[in-house]
Amino acid sequence: MELLIQTIINGLLIGGIYITISAGFTLCFGVLHVIDFAVGEWVMLGAFITFIISTSTHIDPFLLLPLIFVMFFIAGYLLQPTLQRVITKNKSNALLMALAFTFGISVLFKGAALTIWGFNERNLVTILSGKSISLLGINIPSLRLGTFVFAIIITIVFLWFLQKTRFGLAVRAAAERQDVAGLMGIDSNMINKVVYAIYTGLTACSGALIGAIFSINTEMGVRYTIFAFFVVVAGGLGSIEGAIVAGILLGLLNSFISVYIGGQYVFLVLFLFLYLILLAKPKGLLGKGW
Amino acid sequence: MTKNNKALVGLLLAGIAMLMLPLVISSFWLRIVTGAIMWVGLAQSWNMLAGYMGYVSFGHGAFFGIGAYVTAILMAKGLPFIGALVLAALVTALFAAIIGQPTLRLQGAYFAIATWAFAEGIRQLVLVLPFTGGANGMRMEAFLNENFFYYSMLLVSAAAVAVTYFLFQKAVFGLRVRAIREEETASQALGLNTTAIKVKVFALSALFPGILGGVYAYWITYIHPESVLTPLIADQMVVMALLGGLGTIAGPIVGAMVLFLGNRILWVMFGDTSFYLVLLGLAIAIVILFLPDGIVSLFTRKKKTGEGISKENVRNITG
Repeated sequence: MELLIQTIINGLLIGGIYITISAGFTLCFGVLHVIDFAVGEWVMLGAFITFIISTSTHIDPFLLLPLIFVMFFIAGYLLQPTLQRVITKNKSNALLMALAFTFGISVLFKGAALTIWGFNERNLVTILSGKSISLLGINIPSLRLGTFVFAIIITIVFLWFLQKTRFGLAVRAAAERQDVAGLMGIDSNMINKVVYAIYTGLTACSGALIGAIFSINTEMGVRYTIFAFFVVVAGGLGSIEGAIVAGILLGLLNSFISVYIGGQYVFLVLFLFLYLILLAKPKGLLGKGW
Repeated sequence: MTKNNKALVGLLLAGIAMLMLPLVISSFWLRIVTGAIMWVGLAQSWNMLAGYMGYVSFGHGAFFGIGAYVTAILMAKGLPFIGALVLAALVTALFAAIIGQPTLRLQGAYFAIATWAFAEGIRQLVLVLPFTGGANGMRMEAFLNENFFYYSMLLVSAAAVAVTYFLFQKAVFGLRVRAIREEETASQALGLNTTAIKVKVFALSALFPGILGGVYAYWITYIHPESVLTPLIADQMVVMALLGGLGTIAGPIVGAMVLFLGNRILWVMFGDTSFYLVLLGLAIAIVILFLPDGIVSLFTRKKKTGEGISKENVRNITG
C-alpha cells in the first residue's frame, strides 16, 4: 500500500515537469504547425546553461529560472524567422521540411554540446538537494516537490497569459485560423516569433528543473524528445488541456512501469501505447487535437 | 545519337565501372564504397514511400533492423546465408504489409510519428526479447570476402533503383502512386483502391531495407540494437533523400553518396569526432533553407517526378 502511494506520488511529481515541456511544444504546433524535433536539445541546453551559470556565480538554479527563460526566449525569437522561411518557402510540404530542418538543428546543438562539454555527467545542486519530507510514512524528496511546484507555477503563468491577456487572445486566434486572424489585424509573423520564443523559454526552464532532479549530460536530449512527442500525441496535437492530462499520465506510467514491471520495459510500453493511441484515437485521448 | 541512347551508354559505362571497381581500389576504400552503396539503396527505398507517395516515415530504420535480426537468428539456427536472407526479406515485407494496413490510415505528421513510435517500439522489444541477445546483440560467423559483400550490396541497391525507375517513374502503377501523393481523396473518388496501393508501396519500400539489413548483418558479423535499430538510420535515409532531391530517381543516389562519403572523409581526416555532428546539422539546415528541392535541382529545370499523364494513360490509371 505504501509502495503504491509512493509510486503515485513520484509519478505525479515528475508528471508536472512533463507538462511544462509539453505545454510550449503543443502551443508551438497549434500556432506554427511545426513539430520541433529539437525539443529535447532545448531541454539539454537549458540544463547546461543553468549548470554553467549556477556553478560560476553560486546562485541557486531555482532563482536562475527567470534569467534562463529570458535567455532562451531571445534565442528562440532570433531563430524563428529562419524556421518561418522554411515553412513559407515550402507550402506544399511545410511539415516535412520543418521536421527535417529542426532535425538538422537538433543534430547541430547536440554536436556542439558534445564538442564543447564532452560526455561527462554533471549534477545541478540546489538548496533542496538531498532533503526530504516525511508524511505519514511516505517519503517525498523536497527537490522533486520543489521542481513540481515550480513547474506548476510556470504552467499556470503560461495559461494565464494565454487565456487572460489580449496578446494571448491573439495567439489563440492565430492558432485557430491564421489567415482570418491576419485579416483582423493580428500580425501573425510577430505572434509566430513570440510563440516560438515562449516555447524555447519554457522548454529550457524545464531543462533546468530536470537537471536539478537527474544528472545532466549532452546526450539526454533524445529522451525528452520522446517524452514530448508522447505527451503531445496522447493529449492531441495542439491541445493544451490534453497535454496536461497526458503529462500526468506519462509521469504515472513511468513510475508504475519501473516499480511494478521493470525499468527496461518503460520505453517499450510507452512506444506501444503511443502507437496504439495514434491508431485508435489520433486526435488524442481527449479528442481535442488537430 | 538521341538523348535516350546517350543516357543508356552512360549507364552501361557506369555499370561496368561499378563491376570493375573492386579490382582497382584498396580494400579499405572498397568497404567505404560498399557502405555508400548500401545507403543508396536505403535512401531510394525511403524515397519510394515519401518521395513518390508523400507518406513520410520516420521509422524505416526498423525494417533494416528486422532484416538484420531475422537473418542473424536464422543463421544461428543453422540456415545458410542465402536461405536466411530470403526468409528475412519475406518476413520484413510481410511484417510491413501487416503494420502498414492500420498505420497508413494516418496522414502527415500522425503517420510520421506513428512510424517513429513503431520503430522505437521494435528497438525496445529487441532489448527485452529472449532470443535477440538484448543489449549485447548477436554475433555471427565471419565471412571474410569483401568482394562478395560489395557485389551483394550493389545488386540489392541497383534493384531498388531499377524498381523505382520502372515501377514508380515509368509504369502506370507509379502514376497511381503519385496521384495519391497529389490528392488522395480525389484519386479514391476516381476509383483507385488507395489502401491496396499504399500497402503495396509500403511493403516494397520495406523489402529493400530488410534485405540490405540482412547483408549488412553478415558483413559486419556483429549486430546490436544500437547499431541496426538506432533512429539514426531512419534519420539518415530522410536526410539523404532530401539532400539529393525528394521524389526524383537521382536524388537519393546523389544524397547518399555525398553524405556518406563526406562523413567517411571527415572521419578519415579528423578521426571519430563529435564535430562531424555540427557540420552535418549545419549542412542539413542550409540545404533545406536554400536548396529545398535538393542537389539535383541544380542540374535539372523540372523539379518534380516523372512525366505527366499522357492521353492513352488516362484510361489506364483508373482501369
